[in-house]
Amino acid sequence: MNTNTDDMIGRLVADLTPVRPLRQRTGMVRTMLAFAVSVGIVIYAIGVRADIMAGRPDPMFLTSSGLFLVLALASAWAAIDMARPAVGTRRDGWAWTAMMAAVLPVAALGLIAIDLFTGQPVRTAPGGYECLAIGTAAGSMTLASLVTWLRRGAPTFPTLAGTLVGVAAGSAGIFGVSLCCPHNDLIHIGIWHGGTVVLMGVLGRLFLPRVLVW
Amino acid sequence: MIADDATMSRLALMAQAGDRQAYGTLLTTSRDWLARYYRRKVPPVQIDDLIQDTLLSLHRRLASYDPDRSFYPWLAAIARYRFIDHLRLVYRQSVETHSDNADFAVDSGEDAIAARICLERLFKVLPNGQRAAIELVKIKGLSIREASDKTGQSEALIKVNIHRGLRRLAGMVEKA
Repeated sequence: MNTNTDDMIGRLVADLTPVRPLRQRTGMVRTMLAFAVSVGIVIYAIGVRADIMAGRPDPMFLTSSGLFLVLALASAWAAIDMARPAVGTRRDGWAWTAMMAAVLPVAALGLIAIDLFTGQPVRTAPGGYECLAIGTAAGSMTLASLVTWLRRGAPTFPTLAGTLVGVAAGSAGIFGVSLCCPHNDLIHIGIWHGGTVVLMGVLGRLFLPRVLVW
Repeated sequence: MIADDATMSRLALMAQAGDRQAYGTLLTTSRDWLARYYRRKVPPVQIDDLIQDTLLSLHRRLASYDPDRSFYPWLAAIARYRFIDHLRLVYRQSVETHSDNADFAVDSGEDAIAARICLERLFKVLPNGQRAAIELVKIKGLSIREASDKTGQSEALIKVNIHRGLRRLAGMVEKA
C-alpha cells in the first residue's frame, strides 16, 4: 500500500476529535420545531380559519391539509435519513405519499380541462398568489433546518436530497397556510396549494444540490 | 484480512467518542476494504488517490455513521459517492482532451491514459452499438449525423443507443 495513504491515516488519527453521531430522531425533532414555529407565525399573522374556530372544519380542508401534513412528515423523514448514507437503504415511502397528494392538483387540472373541452366557463381559483407566496415563505424555516442537518451529514444523492427538502418545505409551508386559508374548493387547493409544493420541489432540485455537495 | 461488520461498528462508535487507537484500526481496515472495492472499478494508478479521497470523506463525515446500523454499507455509500465524483472528473478530462488538440499534445500523460482505461472498463458492459454511439458522440464530439455515417446506424438509433447506454452506465455506477 502507498506510504502516502499510511501517512494520511496517521494525520487523520492525530486530527480526530469526538463527534456526536447524527440521529434520525434528533433531526426530526429539530425539523418539527422549525415547522411548528413557522405554522405558529402564519397563524399569528393571518389568523385561523373561521370554520376551525367554530369547531366545524370543512371536510375538504381536513382531507387536503391532512395530505400535505403527511407529505411534509414523510419527505422530511426521508431527507433527514439521507444525511446518514448506506448502500441498499430504501427511501421511497415519501414517493407514495407524494402520489397521494398529487391527486389534488391532478383532479383540479382535470376539472379545468373538462371545462375547456365542454366549452363551459373555466372555474377560477381566486386568492392563489397569496397562498403560494406565504406558503413558500413559511416553508423556508423547514427548508433551512433540513439543509443545515444535511450539511452536517453525508447525502450521497444531492439532487434527490434537494428535491425532498423542497417538497418537505413546500408541504410544511402550505399546511400552515391551509389552517388560515378560507378557500375550500378543489381548484384553489389543487392548483395553488399543490403548486406551492411542486414549486418548492423544483427549486430544491435546481438550487440545493450545489449547497449539499460535499 | 477484513474485519467483520460488528467489529467495524464498534470501532466506529469508539472513534466517534475520540478513541484514536480504534480510529487508526478503523481507517487501516477501511483502506484495505476500499482497495478491493476500487480494484474492480478503476485502473491501478488511480486507486490510491481514490482511497485517500474516501478516507478523507470518512474523516470529515464520521458523524454521519449511525452506530445502530451496519458499517460497511455506510462505507460503501461514501466510496460510491467518491467514485461517481471521480467518473465525472474522468469524463470531463476526456472531453477536454478530445476537444483541444493542443492541450492533448501537452497534457495527455498518465491521467489521460488512466481515464481511457477507466472508460473502457465501463464500456465493456455495453453492447457494441451503444458503446460506439457514446464514444463517437459524447467523447469524440461527432455530430449525430457523422456518427450515423460512420457506424451505419440510423440517426434515431444513434440517439436511442446513447440514451440507453448512458442509462445503463448510470445504473451500473448506482449499483457499484
